[in-house]
Amino acid sequence: MSSILLENVSVDLPVFEVGGRSLKKRLASLGRRNRIAEGDDGVVVVHALDNLSLSLVEGDRVGLVGHNGAGKSTLLRVLAGIYPPTSGVIHTNGRVVPLLDISLGMDELSTGRQNIRLRGLLLGMKDAEIRRKTEEIAVFTELGDHLDLPLRTYSSGMRLRLAFAVSTAVDPDILLLDEVIGVGDASFMEKAEARMRALHSRAQIVVLASHSHEVIQKMCNKVLWMERGRIRAFGEADAITAQYVAGNTSGATPQVQAQPQSPAVHPVRT
Amino acid sequence: MFPTALRDLSASLAAWRLWSLLGWLEIRQRYARSQLGPFWLTISMGVIVGTIGLVYGTLFGQDMENYLPMLGIGLVFWSLLVSIINEGCTAYISSSGYIRQTSTPKLLFMLQVGWRNILIFMHNFLIVIVLLTVFGSKDWATFPLFIPGLMLFILNALWMGQVVGIISARFRDLPQIVASLLQVAFYVTPILFPPGMLDRHRWVLDYNPFAYLLDLVREPLIGHAPSLATWMIGGTMAATGWLLALALTERCLKRIPYWI
Repeated sequence: MSSILLENVSVDLPVFEVGGRSLKKRLASLGRRNRIAEGDDGVVVVHALDNLSLSLVEGDRVGLVGHNGAGKSTLLRVLAGIYPPTSGVIHTNGRVVPLLDISLGMDELSTGRQNIRLRGLLLGMKDAEIRRKTEEIAVFTELGDHLDLPLRTYSSGMRLRLAFAVSTAVDPDILLLDEVIGVGDASFMEKAEARMRALHSRAQIVVLASHSHEVIQKMCNKVLWMERGRIRAFGEADAITAQYVAGNTSGATPQVQAQPQSPAVHPVRT
Repeated sequence: MFPTALRDLSASLAAWRLWSLLGWLEIRQRYARSQLGPFWLTISMGVIVGTIGLVYGTLFGQDMENYLPMLGIGLVFWSLLVSIINEGCTAYISSSGYIRQTSTPKLLFMLQVGWRNILIFMHNFLIVIVLLTVFGSKDWATFPLFIPGLMLFILNALWMGQVVGIISARFRDLPQIVASLLQVAFYVTPILFPPGMLDRHRWVLDYNPFAYLLDLVREPLIGHAPSLATWMIGGTMAATGWLLALALTERCLKRIPYWI
């Protein structure tokens, strides 16, 4: 039984480039314990997720919607266990497989087959599992003899095929997807879509961030609408999508609307 | 004690296939298409041992039979220690691509640094073998002590790498500071000069932890048994160092993905 439970989860992303981060500044400000010094060495923090509670159970196919910077990708990373919450707790049951960055962990000098192993290990597969699946992956990529050549000889389309094939070969209980992945030429695209659907149906919980209503309507039974790091609405796909579309078209012009959508930025000490 | 850090450590050790592979890949990337690969390091190390041995051996009025093995073995182990610590500084920073995309255990990136440098060290060990074949050891009976000595040595290098690795992820000045401090340490550690030459300022060696670490591996090879004090200090350093490293890991592990 796979499940995800988030209780009052907040994530603050520190932005060090805007002042701070150097040991020199820290040491220089040690002696001065006045307000100015504290203001100086405060690191700018983006509240990416703000007190978020959520419960997902088996069978949930959740579409994540919201504007850029609403916290969709951060939420996916929290669900994947990449970002441990700054406060609050997260309980996950089941094997989580994040497909956030398709180009993760590819080594230019290794052959296609060696890359299958590297990426498989990174995605948490066991050696035996990788060996068992290598042939199936090789066939799916249609790369043939190229698989024994180093990756640097591959075209970008070929790389995508390989990366996609390995990533989608895992058996996830919980599948996390960021946007929909465009893969190669038209014929391969069809194959990829079929594989994606198969993966989708194998997984017990799917969370998918997308800006395409079509994709969400096709693949999801629930929709989570994020706004400024909070949950604006969560429920049945059709109802929430309708609300979301209505919320976007009515009211203020997009430019004005874009302003309050960006997450709050505060200088805080980390 | 340290539940998060220990869980991460055991998960990292279990993922040995991943860190050993990543370590190999890094070496291969560095020496791509070079015929000799990491043996270039061995060659350059050999040349350094030869020239420094000749110049300083003459300067210090040493007999080559004792001086060259001491210098050569010292340099090989010093470069292992220094590269684990220096590259430990960037263990997490340079793995940001992996850390920000998957939820792998974190300590495996430090183990990768250790493994990679042990592989390079194995290439350099050729110099030690050559020196021992040419000049021999004073007493081969002490040779087996080299194994536990090397283990303590590497354990110590790894905790140092882990400590600076975590702090460097947050404070980016540290790698430079560490590099310069290690440079200083090189000159006050008996590598270029035999320990006996510094008798008038004995305290420089007595209070130098690196001198003890070096003794752990160099003495058994040259043919002396390291003193009990050396073993005790090496062991205590490894134990307290790892406690410190685990405490720091416990505290900071969750912040690493945010810092890099």
